[in-house]
Amino acid sequence: MSYVRKVGLVLVLAMVAVACGGGGDGDGGGQAAQPAANQEITVGAGDDQYVREGSSANLAVQPVNANIAETLTYLSPTYEVRPLLAERWEFRAPNTWRFHLRPGVRFHDGQPLNAQAVKATLFDRVAQQRGGGTIKAGPSSAVVVDDLTIDFTPTAPNYRVPEQVVHPSNVVYAPGSDPGNRPIGTGPFRFVEYQPKERLVVERNPDYWGDEAKLSRITFRFYPDANARRLALEAGDVDIILGVSGPDVKGLKSRGFEVPTSPVGSYEAMYANIHGAPPHDILQDNAVRTAISMAIDRRELVENVLEGQATADQTMIPPTALGRHRSKITGSPFDPARARTLLDNAGWRPGADGIREKNGRKLTLQLVSGFGGAEIHRPIPTYLQSQLRNVGIGIDVVERPDSASYQSLIDSGSGDLFLERGSQNDANVGFLPVLLFYTGGSGASAQYTKLFAPGPRFDEIIGPSVTEPDADKAQSIVADAMHQIIDVDHVVIPLAGLFQIYGAKKTVQGFTPHPSFISLRWDGVSLASGR
Amino acid sequence: MKRYVGRRILLLIPTLFGMSILTFGVSNLTPGDPAFTFASRLANRPATPDEVAQAREDLGLEGGLVTRYVRWAGNAVQGDLGISFSTRLPVRPELVQAAKFTLQLAIPAALLALLIAVPTGVVSAVRRNRPADQVLRVLSLAGASMPSFWLALLLVVLLAVNYSLLPAAGRAGTESYVLPIVTLALAPAAVLARFTRSAVLETLTTEYVVAARAKGAGEAVVVVRHALRNALVPLVTAVGNSLGHLVGGAAVVETVFVWPGIGRLMVEAILQRDYPVIAGIVLYSGAVFAVISLVVDLLYAVIDPRIRVGSDA
Repeated sequence: MSYVRKVGLVLVLAMVAVACGGGGDGDGGGQAAQPAANQEITVGAGDDQYVREGSSANLAVQPVNANIAETLTYLSPTYEVRPLLAERWEFRAPNTWRFHLRPGVRFHDGQPLNAQAVKATLFDRVAQQRGGGTIKAGPSSAVVVDDLTIDFTPTAPNYRVPEQVVHPSNVVYAPGSDPGNRPIGTGPFRFVEYQPKERLVVERNPDYWGDEAKLSRITFRFYPDANARRLALEAGDVDIILGVSGPDVKGLKSRGFEVPTSPVGSYEAMYANIHGAPPHDILQDNAVRTAISMAIDRRELVENVLEGQATADQTMIPPTALGRHRSKITGSPFDPARARTLLDNAGWRPGADGIREKNGRKLTLQLVSGFGGAEIHRPIPTYLQSQLRNVGIGIDVVERPDSASYQSLIDSGSGDLFLERGSQNDANVGFLPVLLFYTGGSGASAQYTKLFAPGPRFDEIIGPSVTEPDADKAQSIVADAMHQIIDVDHVVIPLAGLFQIYGAKKTVQGFTPHPSFISLRWDGVSLASGR
Repeated sequence: MKRYVGRRILLLIPTLFGMSILTFGVSNLTPGDPAFTFASRLANRPATPDEVAQAREDLGLEGGLVTRYVRWAGNAVQGDLGISFSTRLPVRPELVQAAKFTLQLAIPAALLALLIAVPTGVVSAVRRNRPADQVLRVLSLAGASMPSFWLALLLVVLLAVNYSLLPAAGRAGTESYVLPIVTLALAPAAVLARFTRSAVLETLTTEYVVAARAKGAGEAVVVVRHALRNALVPLVTAVGNSLGHLVGGAAVVETVFVWPGIGRLMVEAILQRDYPVIAGIVLYSGAVFAVISLVVDLLYAVIDPRIRVGSDA
C-alpha cells in the first residue's frame, strides 16, 4: 500500500470514529433510588462571579448558592415566602417587622443562631450599604427583643421586607465569619474548599437543624461557556448542569439525560422608548406601540424560535408570583390586520419598499439587543424583524456584546426598542416595575425611567405597593400596574416567559428546579445506586 | 552583551508606560459603566441608583480619568496593580496565579509544537513535491487554518464525550492537560512546519550544502548539521512569536477548556469592565513579548556565530 493510501486510510478511520463514536447514554439506566451514605455529585455551574472582599462578599452564596448560609425566609419555586431561619414574622405598625427565629439552630462552628447574630451579620451588614440596601436598613434599624426575636424597622416605609429577605444577598453568617474566604452559616452544607475560577467544594452538615442532606459532598465546577458545560455533562465529568440553552434540550434528551425545567421565572420583553428625541421619537405614539405588540406571533416565537422552551405569557412578572391576580394582565392578541389598521389610522402608509412612511419619514425603528450579551437573545431580534416587516415596520437590529455596552445605549437614549431578559429573584413582585418605570420615589433607575416611565397613571397605581402590608393586596396592585404598562400603555411589550433549564444524569434524584437558580436547594438531592 | 541586555530592559520601561496609558485610556473610554455592571451583577438585575453609587465608591471610580491613572500608575510602579472590580481582591496575585496556569499549558504546547513541526518541516523539505510532502503540506495548511475553538470542540466530542478517554474540561489531574495542550499546539505546529520547510528548502540549495554532499557527507548529516542548523535563525523568530502568543494567554482555548489562565481572565475582565485587571494583563503581555523578543535576539548569536548581538561593528 502506498504512503498516500495509508495516510488516507488513517484519515477515513478517524472520521468514521467521530461519526460512529458511542453516544453518551446519560448514565441513565433508570436505576432504583437507593441513597448511600457517601454520595458525591459534581455540578456544572456557570461563571465564577463571587465577590471575595468588602461588604458585598458572597462566596458560595451568589450566583451559585451552595446552601452554606441561609436567609430568614425562603423563596419557594412557586414564589411563595416560606419560613427558614425565621419560624414566623409579623408586621407591627407603623413600620416594623418582627422576626421570630427558629430555636436550636447552630452555625457550622457551633455558635448558636440568635437575634444578636442576625442583627450583626444581616441587618447591620446591609445597613453599611449606601441607602441601606433594597430593604432600607439603617444603623439602628435592628433591635434585639430577646434571644430569638428581632425587630427590624426600615429607614423608609417598606412593607415588603419578608419578601425581600428571601434573596441570598441577605443570608445570615456566623459572627466572626469571613464571607469572602470561608463562609460559615447554618445551612445543610458546610464549606470545604474553593479554587477561584475552578471549583467550590462543600460537604454535608451533620448537625443541620432540618433534615440532613442526602449528599455527602458537592463539587461545583465553573464552566462559563454553555457548550463546555453541556459537553462536560455528556462526557460524564459532571452530574448536573445549571443553565441549559433551549437548542440543547432536544440533544440532551435524545442522549438519555433528564432536562428538568422550572416554572416561569424570567421573561423576554421589549421596552419602548417613549420619551426619545428624534430620530428615536416614533414610539411616543401609542398606536405604533400597540401595532408592534399585535404584530408579533408569540406562539410561533415560542414553538419555532425558542424550540418550545418558553411560554407565550405576556408578563414581565412571573404568573405564579402574581398569584390569583395574574389574569388581570391580558396581553395583546396576534392580530396583524388590526395592527395594519392602527398604523393606517395613525398616518403611516405603506411605501414602495413595503415599509410605511409618514410625512416622508420611514417607520424604521432601532431594536437594541445586548442585555446580558446579545448572544443569549438570538435569534429573537431576527424573528421580530421579519414579523414587524409584515405590517410595514422596518427594524434595524443593533447588538451589543455585553450588558455594559448595552447600558451605554440606554444612558444615551440611542434606540427605539430595547430587548431585555429579566428574572424575578425574590417575592417582592413590585420591585422591578418600581425600579425601571416608577417616577414617584427615589429608588428608581434614572436611566430607565428617562426612556420608559409611562407617567402619572402608572405611578399612581404602583406607588402604594411599597406600603401595602398585605401581600395579596400588593400582588393585586402590581398586577393592575402591569396591566396598565403592558395592555394600556404598551411600554413593555412582553415576548415570552422563560424557564430555568437544567440538565442532569438520570441517576440524580430529588432535584427541584427553581425559577431563580440563586435559590436552589441541594439538601433533597440524591444519587441512585449503580452510579 | 551585558550592556545590550541592560539597554533592552531599560527600553521596556517607556514601552510599558506607553502601553499603560493606551490601555487605561482605551478601556476607560469603552462604552459601559463598570459601577453599574458590578452592581447589576451583584443584584442579578439592573442596579438601583444607591447600588451604583456604592459601587462607584467601592471601586474607586470617583475622580477624573487623569487622576485615576496617576493614582493607578503610582501604585503600579510599586508592584500594586490595584483591586479587581469583579472579585475585590488585589490584581497582582490573581494575575500571577493565572499566568502560572497559562504557563502550564503554554510551555508543553510550545514543546509539542516544535516536536511536531521540525521533523514534519524537514521531511517535507527533503521530500519536496513527493507524496509525503504533499500530504504534510495539506495537513499543515489545514492545521494552520483550523479555528482553535472548532478543533477544541471536535477533540472534546471525540475523546471526552464519545469515548470518555479524557475529561471534557477543567483542571483536574494530569489527563486534563492533554486536550488543551494538543489544541494549543496544533496551530503553531502547522505554522512552524511550513516555516521549517521553506527555511530548510532554501538552505538545501546553498553552496555549502552542495559542498557537504560533494565531500561525501551522509544525507542525515547534510540535512541536520548543515541545512537545519542554518535554517534555525528564521525558525527561532517564528517560535518566539508563537511562544509569545501562547504565554500571553489563549482566550478561546482557555474558555472552552475552562482553564483559569490569562486568556480567560482577560475575556472575563473585558466583559465585566474590570479595568485594573485589563491593564494588568496588558502590562503582563507586553512584558512577555519584550522578554521573548530579547531572548530570541540573544539566541541568534548562539545559533549563528556570525551574528554579534549588541556589537557596534
